[in-house]
Amino acid sequence: MNLSFADIGTGALRAALPLAIWGIGAAGYAAAKRDGRALASARWSALITLLLVVLAAFAMVGALITHDFSVLYVARNNALETPLFFTVVSLWAALEGSILLWTAILAGATAYVAWRGTRALPRLATTALAVLFAMLAFFLILVTTPAADPFVRSEIVRLNGNGPNPLLQNHPLMALHPPLLYLGYVLFSVPFAYAIASLVLGEGGDRWLIATRRFALVSWALLGVGIVAGAWWSYAVLGWGGYWAWDPVENAAIMPWLVATAYLHSVMVEEKRRLLRSWNLSLVIATFALTILGTFLTRSGVVNSVHAFSLSVIGPLLLGYLVAIVVLSVGLLLWRMPMLRDSGAVGAPLSREAIFLFQNVVFVAATLTVLLGTLYPLIAEAISGDQLSIGRPYFDRVEVPLALALLFLMGIGPQLPWHGASRATLERQFTAPIVAAAGGALLAVAIGLGGAFAVVTYALAAFVAATVVQEFARGIHARRTLHGESAGTALANLVRRNGRRYGGYIVHLGIVLVALAVATSQSRTVEIERTVRAGEHFEVAGYTVAYSGLRTVDEPQRDLLVADLAITGNAADTHLRPALVFFPNATQAVGSPGISAGLGDDVYTILVAYDTTARSWATIRVLVIPLVSWLWLGGGVVGLGAVIAALPQPARRELVRPLAEAPATVGD
Amino acid sequence: MTVRSVRVTERMGARRLLLIAVLAAAVLIGFVAVQNLAPAAVYYLTPTEALQRRVAAGTAARLGGQVETGTLRYEPQTRDLRFVLSDGTTRVTVIGTGAPPALLREGAGAVVEGTFAADGTFHATQVIAKHDEQYAPPSPGATPSHRAP
Repeated sequence: MNLSFADIGTGALRAALPLAIWGIGAAGYAAAKRDGRALASARWSALITLLLVVLAAFAMVGALITHDFSVLYVARNNALETPLFFTVVSLWAALEGSILLWTAILAGATAYVAWRGTRALPRLATTALAVLFAMLAFFLILVTTPAADPFVRSEIVRLNGNGPNPLLQNHPLMALHPPLLYLGYVLFSVPFAYAIASLVLGEGGDRWLIATRRFALVSWALLGVGIVAGAWWSYAVLGWGGYWAWDPVENAAIMPWLVATAYLHSVMVEEKRRLLRSWNLSLVIATFALTILGTFLTRSGVVNSVHAFSLSVIGPLLLGYLVAIVVLSVGLLLWRMPMLRDSGAVGAPLSREAIFLFQNVVFVAATLTVLLGTLYPLIAEAISGDQLSIGRPYFDRVEVPLALALLFLMGIGPQLPWHGASRATLERQFTAPIVAAAGGALLAVAIGLGGAFAVVTYALAAFVAATVVQEFARGIHARRTLHGESAGTALANLVRRNGRRYGGYIVHLGIVLVALAVATSQSRTVEIERTVRAGEHFEVAGYTVAYSGLRTVDEPQRDLLVADLAITGNAADTHLRPALVFFPNATQAVGSPGISAGLGDDVYTILVAYDTTARSWATIRVLVIPLVSWLWLGGGVVGLGAVIAALPQPARRELVRPLAEAPATVGD
Repeated sequence: MTVRSVRVTERMGARRLLLIAVLAAAVLIGFVAVQNLAPAAVYYLTPTEALQRRVAAGTAARLGGQVETGTLRYEPQTRDLRFVLSDGTTRVTVIGTGAPPALLREGAGAVVEGTFAADGTFHATQVIAKHDEQYAPPSPGATPSHRAP
């Protein structure tokens, strides 16, 4: 018998489905009856399910690498000449493979909770495990039925496949962006499952939230870095010089991230002040529901037209899943509402919890307005039959002021004490930042940034940066006086021992970088388009662009028509090669921009058109985009800060150790 | 009144103030959002639909149709782009600035975004060549036809 990779994959997925369904019952029974044997059974089901789904994912990679075109997915997304790297990442190049990857990550999260979570909080985690098994079973149903079966065989076996979508085999970021997003999406299932478990058990306390704090933080960070990676991919591949277009696909990713950001902050209010309990549960439910909504919007084709919905099998299934999740969660929440009383009240308007509350309101408003703009075309089409889209002006006008409000609150919130602030505290915390804000505004005016929004962004960015620097300076100063450490050691210890707080500040610095990048690149980009002949050159924003002609480059899987450009001026001396890329089975050539990235300007060049008959001329578009690399950098800083905040903190031994290590400085 | 009870009433006042501020912010944001929704709506129409609806000059719209054979003209020096977009019934002259996308072809689909001028011509800010999402498989042994000209 000849067993193919596809047979292995199909078999593994079919074996995993009953195991996951068994797991729902076993974990549910174990939680209800506190039955150790049922728990052991659920644990092993989780582990074996994970192994089977991972086996299926590897089987898909195997089918891709061996170019087994009898598998429809391989025939559609791979070709003999596709390079190995893009062959492997084709696992998530289309719907079925993406759902398989999603299922594998969910199986991993389920197995983690089964083996690690149930030790710490047996009853709560076991109930959450049952919820996770139920979600896993749903996704296993998708991958074992025509809805998203990745191993469907093709009736006619082709000699060669179509190859991946040209846009998806043009840049290495393709390997990073989708898995990061999926990890972020899927890992949020764990806080959600714990929240549901807490509601089912009627705990009314904060244990679910503290147990999943790190999961929420990590999934939030992965989603955030995934979004930035997506913006970078769009910038580097799509050849329009932008990075964010308020496209439904982008909105689908940013909405859960916005609500999750609100959640990460309101969690602190619940931990410190025992407030906002039902609010936090609502935010977790909303975040999770938005991850499913995002998948539904992008995967059912419904964003193109309401009518595309009925064409896909997976659309109605995902919609049903979404509705079931929302109805069940909201029902549970309402049922348990009497148990979720807050102990205490929010303090003065100038207290940390009040600002966090405000920040939450703005984040939720930002999410709802993005949702409105994303769903409005669907609603309009369903009601009147008109096809329309909501353009950038709506999103820019509504979201930019909200983003600035958030930037402002980000500067104030962490600087205020819980309960309320005295006048002296306000002066102590805000004198330097206000001076810095004035400096930021002056800087923006001095470098000639156009527009009030850009100037306000600079002022607020300086304000926030100053509060962060002030916190670090005070923390380092305190350690130096108390423990007699050098500045470097003090900084390292500060961050290591208080990772959650200082990691948070680093995240805020990353957001400041992103804000500066967006404000500067949006208001100061210079764009010019010229039709030139070989040997001619032109000037743009202090750079000289010299064109020396077109040439064809043949690669096994594609052909490139490359324009050779030399960029000089502004201390730059580099060669750029914007190209049009022709793939064998694509009717459309794909533009591939030539980019010279720098910490100051990016020079972004596009081959727009050329003389198809004699190649005598070419039309080149050049954009000089300032500070755009700060956007990717800021994404990295956000990720770094999140890692620091998520790292386990060393046990608090500070009161003992300094005395033993440096008695002289502590005194007495 | 004791000091403590004075502080409690102050707190209650502060809470109400906070609640009002939060509600006011929500109402304001909602208002701004709804106000900005309609002007940002871009309708996707065929030339015939645009004619029937009498789309006002200056209103943003997106037209979909075919580039009529023999009408596509681009002057590299003046960067003047002109073609006729048709849905088989109605013809609209599209005027744009800048080079057309490399794969904009006569007889193929195109989507243009922009506004109608008073004279009935369409001034495009964006021209998109509408291409097939489907890729045709090559027949075995055939010479690849994708070689750049």
